Amino acid sequence: MNRLRVLDAVREHGAMTQVEIATATGLSAATVSNLVKELDGAGAVLLRPSIRNGRRATQVSVATARGLLATAVFGDRDVRVAVAAASDEVVAQKRMPLPADHHADEGTDRAARLVHELVEGAGQEMSGLRALVVGLPAPIDTVSGHVGSDGILPGWRGTDVAAAMSDAVRVPVALDNTANLAALGEFKHGALQGVSTGMFVKVSYGAGAGLIIGGELFRGSAGTAGEIGHVTIDENGPVCRCGNRGCLDTFVGASPVLAALRPTHGGLTLRDVITRALDGDPGCRRVLQDSGRHLGVALAGVVTMLNPEVIAIGGQVARLGDLLLGPVRESVERCAIPSAAASVEIRVGELPPDEADVRGGLVLAEQLRDEADRAALSTG
Amino acid sequence: MSTTTTLAPVLSMTGVSKRFGAVQALKDIDFEVAAGEVVALVGDNGAGKSTLVKTIAGVYAPDGGNVVFDGSPVSITSPSEAQALGIATVFQDLALCDNLDVVGNLFLGNERKHGGALDEVTMEQESWRLLRELSAKIPSVRIPVASLSGGQRQTVAIARSLLGDPKVVMLDEPTAALGVAQTAEVLNLVERLRDKGLGVILISHNMSDVMAVADRVAVLRLGRNNGVFRVADTSSTEIIAAITGATTNAVTARAARRAPQEEQS
Repeated sequence: MNRLRVLDAVREHGAMTQVEIATATGLSAATVSNLVKELDGAGAVLLRPSIRNGRRATQVSVATARGLLATAVFGDRDVRVAVAAASDEVVAQKRMPLPADHHADEGTDRAARLVHELVEGAGQEMSGLRALVVGLPAPIDTVSGHVGSDGILPGWRGTDVAAAMSDAVRVPVALDNTANLAALGEFKHGALQGVSTGMFVKVSYGAGAGLIIGGELFRGSAGTAGEIGHVTIDENGPVCRCGNRGCLDTFVGASPVLAALRPTHGGLTLRDVITRALDGDPGCRRVLQDSGRHLGVALAGVVTMLNPEVIAIGGQVARLGDLLLGPVRESVERCAIPSAAASVEIRVGELPPDEADVRGGLVLAEQLRDEADRAALSTG
Repeated sequence: MSTTTTLAPVLSMTGVSKRFGAVQALKDIDFEVAAGEVVALVGDNGAGKSTLVKTIAGVYAPDGGNVVFDGSPVSITSPSEAQALGIATVFQDLALCDNLDVVGNLFLGNERKHGGALDEVTMEQESWRLLRELSAKIPSVRIPVASLSGGQRQTVAIARSLLGDPKVVMLDEPTAALGVAQTAEVLNLVERLRDKGLGVILISHNMSDVMAVADRVAVLRLGRNNGVFRVADTSSTEIIAAITGATTNAVTARAARRAPQEEQS
């Protein structure tokens, strides 16, 4: 029991000396010393001599026998970085706000430095890092490895993100769409567990989706499957940043929601709008329910085509719960073929909105590590 | 003008000036911050940022101009007066005592007493409550701040500023000299202060930090206003141009551009 407390303290605060563990857990120094010895015997921690306040001390950190995994997931306005020993064993995690429309070099540089600092803060060496997965909120061309659309993430156009990142961290880097990663996260650890045909829709600044078909993540022929935000809802609608007209994103993303509220509510952020809607502000509720209806229309098409078992909705708007799901279900029932609409379950994702894609990134990184381990075994 | 806010400003200054001998440090400065808003104050060296901060904090008394706080006109003549009004300042050097523990630093000069003796229990509970509110990850409140990282020290300094329930918090270069992980921590903290409904004034040289968390950016140049920008409608290039003086004053420039068009129509 107390052994877990020591381990949790080291997980939460990174590498610590035994004295620091004692103050953090409230256990006596002698108890901590014994527990650390036991944990070391079980191979759960890593001990390293260090110096604290001019005295010799033993630094304790979490042991990672098979090496570390890392993921850096970009949102429109932030990057979330996690370092883990396995996809369900996060060692350190940090979110950093980024400017909207930042440039790729700024984003990759900050993410790479965060990975370095998190690995070192956890008392590990960069050489212990085995794989890094980078998530971007844009379609990614799996053939060229570039961001697949000029209009989305303009600051990232034409950069080879995987090459830039692997230069900085010197491990294999895989690149994927954040909605795909979130679907993978929900599939392994959340609402889509055990589902053979399912879909995860993330709605925050825009809408994106990841598809699980036949129990596997489905990326399409060039990696752009699931771009539900750019499904046409109204051919004469407003012009979208992708260049088409009337895409779902022009009805459900942050900008249409905020633009609709600006004359009456002033400059809000999407988070403010969601909070106010939950507090009962009628204008904010109406605008978000309208976007739920539009989302339902787009989902009805998917339901008719794929006949999925579960559609999980995540992203910031998932906080709204039934306030959003109600109008979504209504539209799906109205527009989809009745038999498919009757069998689909629409619910909110189980993982916290900020975590689904990070967990998915770690799942993918784990797959990369396993493949590398297997390759090493078959050649050696 | 793109600077209008629908929220009533909690602190608003108009026509504030300050002169040190031959140097006109501030001239006719207009500045305002609303509740739940992050306003970044940027400018080159010698632009008057620090003077303005110290004027708001009550270190300097302005030579002229009006200050309105929470709807009523005030004149701030000393730092303790500013603090009593509800303006908290975290200076760049943090002013922490390295040899004292976190609790000691938070309550320095403001100790809670229980029948003549220090009420350590209440102070420690209060410290944990404050740090939890800021989602701060500090292993123990009983370790000397000397052993904390730069970001954690910044957190302690910010937590201390929140003790008197302020309405406005000023952060002077909070991310200077911090690593990227610690910078991330401070930026998250700024967002949390904003969500709590505080007005935040952020002084920073780092354009990327400013653009990441600020709602508006006020540019000072040579002691004068050189434009106020809403972050959602601008780019860092435009702000840097205003800082360096490549554009003299975005507002007047826009007005000048508009004038000939109106004559034609």
